[in-house]
Amino acid sequence: MKKLWQISILFIVSVLVLAACGSAQSDEGGGESGGAEGEAVKGGEIAIPIAADPTFNTWHPNAYAESNVVNRIIFTGLTKPGKDLSPSPALAEEWSASEDGNVWTFKLRQGVKWHDGEDFTADDVAFTFNDLVLDESLGSNGASNYKSLEEVVVVDDHTVEFHLERPWAALPAYLAFNSEIMPEHQLSGGDPWDNVEFNKKNPVGTGPYKMDTYTSGQSVSLVKNEDFYEGEPNLDKVTYKIVPDSNTQIAQAISNELDIFVMEDKSAIERIESSNDLEVVAADITRYFWIALNQEDERFTDAKVRQAFTHAIDRQAIVDSVLQGYGKVAHGPITPDQQAFYTDEVQQYPYDVEMAKQLLSEAGWEDSDGDGVVDKDGEPFKIVFDIAIQGDLERIAQLVQQYLIEVGIDVELNVLEWNAMIQKNIIERDYEMMLNWWSYPTDPDVYAQYGSENAGTGNNIPGYQDAKLDELLQQGQATSDPEERAEVYREAQEYMAETLPYIYLWYPQELQLRNANLKGVPDTYFGSTLHYIYEWYLDE
Amino acid sequence: MKHSLSFSTIGEMTIMGQFLVKRFFQSLVLILIVSIITFFIMNLAPGGPSSMMRMDATAEERAAIAEQLGLNEPVIVRYKDWLLSALGGDLGTSLSSGQPVIERIMERFPYTFQLTAITLIISVVVGVILGVISAMNRNKWQDNLINFGSVVGLSVPSFWMAIMFILLFSVELQWLPSSGVGDSSLVDKAKSMAMPVIILATSTLPTIVRFTRSSMLEVINQNFIRTARSKGAREKTVVYFHALKNALIPVVSIIGVLIPRLLGGAVIVETVFGWPGMGRLIVEASQGRDYNLVMGVTVFVTVLVIVSNFIVDIIYSKLDPRVKAY
Amino acid sequence: MSNPAANNTDLNQVRVSANIKKSTAWTRLKKNKAAFSALIFLVLIHLLIFVGPFIWTVNPDATNPAGMLQGITASHPLGTDDLGRDVLARMMKGGQITLLVGFGAMFFTVLIGGLVGMLAGYYGKWVDIILMRFTEAMLSIPNFFLALVALTVFGKSPLMVVLVIAFTSWMEIARVVYGETLKWKESEFVEASEALGSSSVRTLYKHIFPQIIPSIIVSSTLGIAWAILTESAISYLGLGIQPPTATWGNMLQNAQQYIWTTPMLGVLPGVAIALVVLAYNFLGDGLRDALDPKHRGGK
Repeated sequence: MKKLWQISILFIVSVLVLAACGSAQSDEGGGESGGAEGEAVKGGEIAIPIAADPTFNTWHPNAYAESNVVNRIIFTGLTKPGKDLSPSPALAEEWSASEDGNVWTFKLRQGVKWHDGEDFTADDVAFTFNDLVLDESLGSNGASNYKSLEEVVVVDDHTVEFHLERPWAALPAYLAFNSEIMPEHQLSGGDPWDNVEFNKKNPVGTGPYKMDTYTSGQSVSLVKNEDFYEGEPNLDKVTYKIVPDSNTQIAQAISNELDIFVMEDKSAIERIESSNDLEVVAADITRYFWIALNQEDERFTDAKVRQAFTHAIDRQAIVDSVLQGYGKVAHGPITPDQQAFYTDEVQQYPYDVEMAKQLLSEAGWEDSDGDGVVDKDGEPFKIVFDIAIQGDLERIAQLVQQYLIEVGIDVELNVLEWNAMIQKNIIERDYEMMLNWWSYPTDPDVYAQYGSENAGTGNNIPGYQDAKLDELLQQGQATSDPEERAEVYREAQEYMAETLPYIYLWYPQELQLRNANLKGVPDTYFGSTLHYIYEWYLDE
Repeated sequence: MKHSLSFSTIGEMTIMGQFLVKRFFQSLVLILIVSIITFFIMNLAPGGPSSMMRMDATAEERAAIAEQLGLNEPVIVRYKDWLLSALGGDLGTSLSSGQPVIERIMERFPYTFQLTAITLIISVVVGVILGVISAMNRNKWQDNLINFGSVVGLSVPSFWMAIMFILLFSVELQWLPSSGVGDSSLVDKAKSMAMPVIILATSTLPTIVRFTRSSMLEVINQNFIRTARSKGAREKTVVYFHALKNALIPVVSIIGVLIPRLLGGAVIVETVFGWPGMGRLIVEASQGRDYNLVMGVTVFVTVLVIVSNFIVDIIYSKLDPRVKAY
Repeated sequence: MSNPAANNTDLNQVRVSANIKKSTAWTRLKKNKAAFSALIFLVLIHLLIFVGPFIWTVNPDATNPAGMLQGITASHPLGTDDLGRDVLARMMKGGQITLLVGFGAMFFTVLIGGLVGMLAGYYGKWVDIILMRFTEAMLSIPNFFLALVALTVFGKSPLMVVLVIAFTSWMEIARVVYGETLKWKESEFVEASEALGSSSVRTLYKHIFPQIIPSIIVSSTLGIAWAILTESAISYLGLGIQPPTATWGNMLQNAQQYIWTTPMLGVLPGVAIALVVLAYNFLGDGLRDALDPKHRGGK
């Protein structure tokens, strides 16, 4: 046995040496963290921190971020983000849309078993969507993504059809995003949310890891699923440790108690980079920060005012300081990681105080009484700026406040606790100006946040309504030809950059802190790397 | 309580019985008041359970969840329902996990109990020793040093001290884990508890030191000690055998005051050190508007404090014949 | 969240004799080195904080992302914070708010506690029963839990923070004042005043209140220390006063993110809080000794 090890190590080393000699010129391309192509080592265990107790059911209304990272490896979906982030096979092996785009057919993988040994079939897919997602009385987490889904029809044991109300090209991408399939035999009958045995104790999935032990407030231990359909995972055990304090997370990483996680604040980078055992990986993520100016407030309906705001804020300086350079000034909702769709050939708004003042005065706002605050019809431009206590939001808001004061807008900060913010800003739409971000599946379909029909109660937070934009975005939804689609979204991006439904701030990068010995992790955002956890290994 | 009425010893048992009944009803009223305050504060608050407060949820989804959680009833009706079910011993289910509230509390209570009980024991033992040293060396350097240390302990913000401890002992020296409860072994456990206990003790230890000291001085100044001293007994023996015994009795009474403070301090300590106790639970529960869980934890902790105060009062009255608990 | 320092008065109720001359107390206080240095330190720091901004006129809220986390420079004698703001200006501005929160919380603590204690002690009977039972009830509630809930819910304005701290710390003072009032009620001159037909409110105000002033002074001094500490603790949990308003508590909380790279940012407010709280605690102890010579055995 020992001999075998020595031989295989020798073999790996020589292969690596040869590979290094042969491909010296293509080195920067091969930065895949040691590369998934290197020989993986079996065994070992890793720990990942989460902030709170998870709920083991993707669709449960209580499944938040900390649940998603756990559920992603217990369960699997029909598709998953590929290493290039485009939807690739998971439980479904292939898929295609009908001619009119109203029906998608998915061929399911055969021989997949649930962790309890039952067979995975098309019925589970139908159950997940028809009985969990589409049941309005359940209020499933993420159900709003599937608004245009009518029903899922079982064709045979390994074929399902998704019937849509209107063509929807982004369906496979959405199925890769927090849309794991749940076992019908465990959850049917009774209220699925009250099934504490499943949701809080013994979830049964199809993923690479299965439940070992869970202790509330402490940890969730998962062991490898030897029968995982993509192959047996390398790591024996994955433990999610519940560590709410972000400094404690970093302290634990430095003392080698944690192996991989997203650093919420970027200020500790220097300390971490000085540690040999750790590395920091920056990855693009489908997310953008924005300011919403409530369109119910007529002061903000003039595009010139929104343009003036954008010119007034030195977004590059905020990226350089608060984000420590890990981000890019945004021009619209489509993020640069969607290379096929993203364009920056649109109207730009560099930091320019004079330009901002001029645009304001074109819109009728001038400082006529010399008090440093612009006014119109005798009314000074005073705004209450609502901000939630969450991550960097408060810091960013304080900078934005000062930039706006600079161009003569009297901004008062109103800091709210997260749930109170949702109540006031999102549910009641009672705000003048707010700042937040959107994360969405890696697909340019952003109709949910922009369509006129989603103003008021949906995700169109500013309440911006524009028939031309609606038409463009609906056209993007219906077009499945990639080139045509890219063209539609290029036009949409140009239009949005001119009209500014939201004030675009930046596309942040995500900073992952990794144990330098943890290999085989794709260089994409953390959430997507988890889909490949079965390829991860410890190289020691 | 000290200033309660004192009765003759005749029929002590019946009086004790009456007292118990009286105390029981007083406690019930207290719990009722606490529950009303908490329930209405929570429910009048902006926001709702986190499951309804997802950024991308639609109005229909929120309505569906409110319906499921029974939040569409008026607050008064919900309080009445909660109260009736609580009186029947059922604290309801947690809005954020669907588990029974009592189950969630019981998952966390042992950890808070370990943390606070050990802190209390250490505070009392160390605090009494330091207090005695302080009193015996009144106004000498030992006394001044201990007094200074106590005031410093009371003056440094505990979360800040906690973070400095983590920087020193976990990151730089790597002696102690920065978070968690330790695995099965006793050494691991002790290592994990060291920092939380020390930080928590900074809020209780000084009080016990000062209390012991002044209690000792008061006893020393009393006549019987003077008498004992004039009879030529060696001073130290006098101190130990007479003063300490009498001085310790009032120290018992302060434990009642310390228990709520320990539970409050546990909120901070549990958050910094990732200790899975009830303090962290209530922070999470109130931020997530888990109404039932907040109610459950608050009522549970109130009962805990009432019961422990009651025990302290009984012990106190047994120790000191001059004081009656009832 | 009861006031730890004030507990010391439980056992040794401050037994201040009515005719202690102010001058004697002052002489005694001057002799107490720790308390007297604390007093001098407090005078200086208050001067610095409240007068300083008139001399150092940098805007504490002016951000400058290009110049963040700077060390000591001529234009920023204490460096800049994570948003490039001047730390000196923020320390002074934050100190003002912190101390005002301390004073405010102390004021309401004494107001509630004093009234409850005096009314219960003076009127006795059912007033006593209701008020003192309520006080005991409040003492046995885990106040910090309630405070958390209240702050989560009602927002974090400075006034709210002041009220929440006061509402959860008044009980100790109520008990001290109650004990004092009971004692003075029995005294000859109070009885005389009542016999002369003074109204009860007048007796309470003219004859009893002046007697309990010394213990109120001691409790208030310790109460300020407690309030400042509590403000920093609730700031840590994200429930304190919110930016851009600076307080030492939220500056300390904010600095936590930078302990890995710029630990100095946390040292300043941390030390400021610790020193001011320490000074108020020493001063409170010293005042107790000065006003009550028996307490520390005639130091």
